[in-house]
Formats: sequence, C-alpha cells, structure tokens
Amino acid sequence: MSKTSAQAAPQKRMRSGTSWKRDFRLNWGIYLIFLPVFVYLIIFNYLPMFGIVMAFQDFKPARGFLGSEWVGLANFVEFFSSSSFLQIIRNTLVISTLGLSVGMVTAILFTLLLNEIKFSWFKRPVQTITYMPNFISAVVIAGMVIDFTSSNGIVTNFLVNVFGMERENMLTNPSYFWGINLVSGLWQGLGASSIIYISALGNVSEELNEAAVIDGANRLRRAWHITLPAIRPTIATMLIMNVGSLLNVGSDKILLLYNPTIYSTADVISTHVTRMGLERMQYGYSAAVGLFNSVVGTILLVSSNYISRKLADTSIF
Amino acid sequence: MIEKLTPSRVIFNIINYSFMILLCIVCIAPVWHILMASFSDPRTMMATPGLFSRIVGKPTLEGYRIVLSSPSILTGYRNTLFYVTAATLLGVVMIAIGGFVLSRKTKLQTPLTLMLVFTMMFSGGLIPSYIVNMNLGLLGNPLALIIPGCINGFYVIIMKNSFSQISPSFEESAKLDGAGPLTILVRIQLPLVKATVAVIVMFLVVQHWNSWFPASIYLTRRRDLWPLQLFMREILVQNDTKMISADEAASSASLVNNLVKHCVTVVGTLPILFAYPFAQKYFVKGLTLGGVKG
Repeated sequence: MSKTSAQAAPQKRMRSGTSWKRDFRLNWGIYLIFLPVFVYLIIFNYLPMFGIVMAFQDFKPARGFLGSEWVGLANFVEFFSSSSFLQIIRNTLVISTLGLSVGMVTAILFTLLLNEIKFSWFKRPVQTITYMPNFISAVVIAGMVIDFTSSNGIVTNFLVNVFGMERENMLTNPSYFWGINLVSGLWQGLGASSIIYISALGNVSEELNEAAVIDGANRLRRAWHITLPAIRPTIATMLIMNVGSLLNVGSDKILLLYNPTIYSTADVISTHVTRMGLERMQYGYSAAVGLFNSVVGTILLVSSNYISRKLADTSIF
Repeated sequence: MIEKLTPSRVIFNIINYSFMILLCIVCIAPVWHILMASFSDPRTMMATPGLFSRIVGKPTLEGYRIVLSSPSILTGYRNTLFYVTAATLLGVVMIAIGGFVLSRKTKLQTPLTLMLVFTMMFSGGLIPSYIVNMNLGLLGNPLALIIPGCINGFYVIIMKNSFSQISPSFEESAKLDGAGPLTILVRIQLPLVKATVAVIVMFLVVQHWNSWFPASIYLTRRRDLWPLQLFMREILVQNDTKMISADEAASSASLVNNLVKHCVTVVGTLPILFAYPFAQKYFVKGLTLGGVKG
C-alpha cells in the first residue's frame, strides 16, 4: 500500500527541507479536518490499548484503570493453568486452520474451474449466485444451521438416511461441531473469497496461454504453469492476512451456535473472552486472555508477512 | 482462443458445467426453501420432509400477517434503518476525511498513517473497549452502535489510495483561488472517487444491517432500542417466539412458530438480497481493492 502512495503524486516539495513551522502554516487546514479522526482513534483505539493494564489488575469498574488492585500476572496464570486452557487453544487452532486451509483451497480450485468456462453468460450468474450467501447475516445463518441440524432437520435426515447416523440434535454432539462450522462457513464464504482470485486472473495474458497451447501444453499444465503463478501474489497476500487472524476465529457464528453441551469442541478464545468478561464480569481475567490473543495474533501477522516477503517476494507492509 | 474439442475435453466440460450448476443449486436451495416455507401451510409443512422447491399445502400469508403486525419486528426495523443510516453516514464521512488527509503530502503524513495502521495490527481487545465505552456512557445508548467502530482502517487505506491516484493538477487551480482543504475534498476530490465511495457505502450498509453483537452487549436491556437482528436472534436462535405469537392459541403455537421463523428470516434478509444484484459490481470492485492493496 505504501508503494502506490509513493508512486502516485510526485510532488516532493513539502517532503524534504521544509521546517515544521512552514508545514503547519501551509497545512493547518488539513490537520484541522483530521481532528475528528484523530480524536476517534485516540478514544476508541488507543485508550483501550492502555486499558490493557487491566489484564494485570483485579479490575473493578467502579475503581477504574488507575484505582484497581494490581495482581501482576495472576490473571495469565489463571488462564494458562485453567482446565479449559488446552481445550480452548486446540479448538481455536483447529477451527481456524480448518477454515483457512479448506477455505483457501476450495476458493482457488473454484477459481481455476470457473476460469475454464468461456461463456460469460454462464460465468457471471454463477459468480453472482455463489457470492450471494455472503450477504446473509450471521443470525440468519445460525438460525438456518440450527433448523437444518435439529433432530428432525433436513441435514440430519439426510445423514441418517444416507450414512446411517444416529438421529439426534447435531448441535448437542461435540463431535459434529467442527464439521458444521466448516461447512456453513464454506457455504457462506466460497463465492466471496474466490472473487479476489478471479479478479487477479484478469492479469493473465491471452498470448501466454496461446503460446502454451501451440507448444502442446494441456489444460492441467496451463493451469499449473500459467494461471496459478498469476494469482500467487494474491494467494500470498490472503495467506498473510488469514494467518494473522488465525486466533480471531469468527466468534459471531460460534456465539450464536454453541451451547454448554458442546463447549468441549466449540469454545474458542474469543467466545471464552466474551463469556467470562461480559457474562461473568471477570474483567481482568478476560482482558488478559484477550491480550494473549492480540499479542499472538500480531506476532503471527508480522512473522507470516516476513516469511512471505522472503519466500514469495510478496508482503502487505 | 481456438482449441480442438477432444473427447476428454468434452467430458471435462460436461463435468465442469454440471458442477457449477450443482454449486449454484447448493447456494440457492436453503434460501429458496425458507422463502417457499414462509408461504406454506404449517401443518402440511411439518409432514413434508426435505427441501421445498415450491409452496407446500395451501398458500398462506398468515405468517407475514403475524410478523408484520408484531410491534417488536416493527421496532427492530425502525431501529435498524436508523442505525444503518446514521452509522453509514458517519462512517463514510470519517473514512473520507481520513483517506483524504493521509493522501496529502504533509510532514505528518507518515506518522498519522502509522498511527492508523497500528490500530489495524493490534487492538486493545473486547473487554478494555467495553470498559472504555461503558465509561463514556454508551451502555444502553444507541450511539454505541454508531460511533465505536465507525472508522475501519482498511477502508481508510483504500480511500487514501484512491485519492493519491488523482492528478494534483485538479486542485492546483482551486488552491490558487484560495479554496481550503474541506472545499477541495468535497468539491473536487470526492466527485473523482465516487466509485470508491460507493463501494465503501455498500459495505457499511451490509455490515450494519447484519450486525448484532455490539447491540447484544451494549443494549442488552433496552429492547426498545434493539436492531432487527437481535429480535431475529431471539426468534431464530433462542427459539423464543412468545413476543410475537402471544395472542395465538397455545395449541397451534409450535406450528405457527415454525412459520413465523421462516417469515422473519425472509423479512430480515430480503432487503439486502434484493439490493445485492444491483450493487454487485461495486462489491466485486471493493473486494478487489481491499484484497490487492489492503
């Protein structure tokens, strides 16, 4: 992103050698209109960052960030030594890694297959229709999942009749949750996540393809040697962003779907934070869990960005 | 491109096209099922297994009558419309200002951009944000759904990139005429990035229409302020339809419940799905902008 801004307007006169005084005299108007954004960022983004101190406190809202009792690392110790710690970490990693890998692979496969369709009157509607579920709200998706997987639901009936599964409300059996979450996520996200790859394919030159045909390359070879390399930077970018948010499992849907009977597979870091913090009011403890989440997330983002820059020569910052 | 249709190619094409059609059916079928069920006779519906391809039993509008005469649903609708409008307006104004200022070559350009980008990489997390908002008096306050979260860093960066691609010559003459930055932004620059603004507006509208979590934590006890999604959550997820069908006879309650659920889903989803085909080109564009440059 810094690349484009650097290329764009080659007006360098302000950059070097101007004094702050001159800069302010020229640009005070620009700084003035930025004020609301600045104040917003300070209050709603940076203040909560300082609020992280509560992770080291026995936080009481009435006493505030400054008056609450300091407890050192007690909140972290409580989390790391709690019986559900390993379970929560496992669920978070499994759910997000499953979603990330299966989601990306299916989106890329779908893109490659769609690329083989030459008629745009067919291609367009397919894109429109597969993109549509992305606009349905999490509440409605959850409502549909609950309805379809209830003991008499459509999906349950199908699985009972075809695979001889035992009839039950699937959302009360911990062994089904990862599958339910993955499939509903794929249904909703496949079309949307493929759009980025499809648009990256616009860059593939037709000549390259024709030359390959003349050289006798078949479909599979062309997909492997021309199409895939063309979307490689996009794949790398998406991978970095997804790895960076590995711990931030979309808690929206899980919060709506899970219930105490399936905590053993459905409870992830973000749902744990929400439940402990907002329902049980253990503010300090859940802020500590959240901080752990943020820090690991940032480390993942920065390191995947670094690795991608080294290996694929693509990075997002 | 000319290519011979070999037998294997024909087979591949048949499989590929069939697969695409199947995929489309999979995407549409559940939504279609709900739409058909919302007009179906509840008693016949219970006895009919599988996905509905058409209305089963005697077509009825009873479910819609119940839903659309329910005060809760109407309240939810009104609140959602308000939140969507207000939050989108505020959001787009702030994002446009942010993108504009960060695209200017000032001495503070880099520090301010870094200040924004840092918020995209690291956040205080849910609980500290909640406490800050609580101290600002946003608990039980409709502003809680409008102000926090109105600036999305990615959109600001997209906006910034759009602005920096405008040739500086556009504003030179305006500057000579003594136009201030706000005039330049509103009169000269914004009209040139209309497409990007449209993309962002669309995304904000969908996001706010579908949002339920902030409302569930900040407006927990203020039912009169709930957006539609929270009422829908009560009906669809918590399986609680008594606020809607309290007047119905208890014996038929569970039948009616089922119908009401489908109608509520349609009523809450249709506006967005209707707008979607018209807005699609903007969404595609927006995702591309976000993916390539974000």
